Amino acid sequence: MKNPGLPRERLLAMHRFLRLTRMVEEKLSVLYRQGQILGGLYSSLGQEAISVGTACALEPTDLLAPMIRNIGSLLVRGVTPRDLFLQFLGRYDAPTHGKDGTLHFGNVPRRALIGPISHLGTLIPVMAGAALAARMRGQDRVALTYIGDGGSSTGDFHEGLNLAAVLKIPLILVVENNGYAYSTPTERQFRVESLAARGPAYGCASESVDGTDILTVHAATRRALERGRRGEGPTLLECRAFRMRGHAEHDDMRYVPPGLLEAWKDRDPIKRFEAFLAEEGHATPAAMAAVADELAAPLEEAAREAQESPYPPPEETLKGVYREPGYEEPWWPAP
Amino acid sequence: MARPVSAVPKPAGTKRAETGAATEGRLAPGDAALLTMLHYMKLTRALEYRIERNLYRQGKIVGGVYVGRGQEAISVGAAMHIRRGGDESHDDIVSPSHRDMAVFLMQGFTPALVLAQYMGRRTGPTRGRDGNMHMGDLRHRLVAFISHLGDSIPVAAGTALTFRMHGTDQASFCFFGEGAASRGDWHEGINFAAVMKLPVIFICNNNQYAYSTPVSRQMAVRHLSERAPGYGIPGETADGNDVLEVYDAVGRAVARARRGEGPTLLEFVTFRMTGHSAHDDAGYVPKALFAEWERKDPIRRFEKDLLGRRLVDAAALRGMEARIEAELDEAVAWAEAQPYPEPRECLVGVYHE
Repeated sequence: MKNPGLPRERLLAMHRFLRLTRMVEEKLSVLYRQGQILGGLYSSLGQEAISVGTACALEPTDLLAPMIRNIGSLLVRGVTPRDLFLQFLGRYDAPTHGKDGTLHFGNVPRRALIGPISHLGTLIPVMAGAALAARMRGQDRVALTYIGDGGSSTGDFHEGLNLAAVLKIPLILVVENNGYAYSTPTERQFRVESLAARGPAYGCASESVDGTDILTVHAATRRALERGRRGEGPTLLECRAFRMRGHAEHDDMRYVPPGLLEAWKDRDPIKRFEAFLAEEGHATPAAMAAVADELAAPLEEAAREAQESPYPPPEETLKGVYREPGYEEPWWPAP
Repeated sequence: MARPVSAVPKPAGTKRAETGAATEGRLAPGDAALLTMLHYMKLTRALEYRIERNLYRQGKIVGGVYVGRGQEAISVGAAMHIRRGGDESHDDIVSPSHRDMAVFLMQGFTPALVLAQYMGRRTGPTRGRDGNMHMGDLRHRLVAFISHLGDSIPVAAGTALTFRMHGTDQASFCFFGEGAASRGDWHEGINFAAVMKLPVIFICNNNQYAYSTPVSRQMAVRHLSERAPGYGIPGETADGNDVLEVYDAVGRAVARARRGEGPTLLEFVTFRMTGHSAHDDAGYVPKALFAEWERKDPIRRFEKDLLGRRLVDAAALRGMEARIEAELDEAVAWAEAQPYPEPRECLVGVYHE
């Protein structure tokens, strides 16, 4: 791993977000098995460096739309673990007031966050449009969103990325190549070595990087950001990692050869980053262990608060479904 | 009045003598094939002229008219490689675009049948239920053209998958324009064909305008074939106004498909010498472009080549044209005499019976 010139406090913040992401997801997994989660649970275990690395590289005014394995991106943008627990538990105080689950929330204007769309790939034309709208309003904003190796085979991927390339829209499309689209391995998904090969096909910049190396991910995102700001259009950024859990919590992924999981275990993004931080003298193993201890109690507290929080009252069912007076415009103020 | 049969026998498909052998790596058609190609290019142009310039303006056509004027070399050069005349485990299958009239003709649709379709007559291929290029017939191995451009790509991949599952060396020919290449279905279909190594020949007629959108607003690459490496398949760009280049490129792609080497993405650069359809004056196209491409007319160019080889002379060309015009006179007369569908037949043939 190589530091692209980030100051120590930035490195430590990234480490903290990586650890927090994993701990939030571990807690969610416990809650899921206790039957407390409404709906599915999709883990980013093994891919945390992609969410945290890309989100940390953006400016707060850049538009960000997470997908299902990007809890880390939300945490970096300031969404609290409490909000996440409330949302997953379907409670009234959650961002969707208990009307939707998982990461299906968005329109957080002050955090420049746009909600994910379940239909994989559909967010790409949406984010191309968001970045185009920002440009038409004279705002210097880059948009970033994520897609998996599976979602790259959808028509929307093609339409969105092509439009961005033709109009030179500042879009960063992060492809999290995690080896499997549900149970479909990448060799049944595409016939190229790397999805970065799709960049030249659209006439846009592309890179393929090690998605378990947060510093490489961060540096590549910065390069893409600069290209976008210079008016050079979109970047297709493939981050290679491995999905260390099933497609979702209910999936025992018996279709994944165990050897693959073993091999990728050695490339755990947190372990790698911690080894780097210790080696370069940014933090001692003890200090890094202390981060986990520090995060543990507030996290438990947030989960407890969520569990004690009420479900939505039935009479609220139709509230917030249609636009109502006083509704906050989902457009973001100029930076 | 019996429906006139086509004046020229069906093109012979892939019989050796017709398609010729490779010389210096380039596939060259034999003499008979060259004349067949010229015939179909001229027949296509003449038939579309009648439809677009005469019958449409006389109000005799039901619905819109989309012609392939200036693009005939692509349909003809490619369709020469379609294997025909056998059973379902022998023949290739083809999904033409709306600018591939020649493909219909070469698959055995007569001009009379086509005209009955355009005039909405009961004896047309859709029995007056649909118009213009919205026709097909699996007996002629023609998958009906799908209006939603791009949708025929996964369909073609599906037909090729059946060939693979049956273990035959049949191929699927799929035509589309550069506008359709921006569609999601296009991506899904080509990626699927690439992953499954399906025997499809993807043939793009890049005529530089998708309705009024110039190709520079359609894609940020110079050539559509640059998409091929993104799918891990071979891609090639060739001159779409040179029927021999088309013949060569498609022939090699077909050979790869039959050998089990998967799909090829071919781009043939040409120009749409008309509006998007007969009602469109193409006022958005710079006049100089039309003039420039008029000079590259594929038929005149091919004629010059054949005259140079002394395969035809001026008298032979005039004879060919006269035969075509006579055939079309007869076809138009027949089609105009055909009945419209009976209202009581409305529901016949809508569902599988």
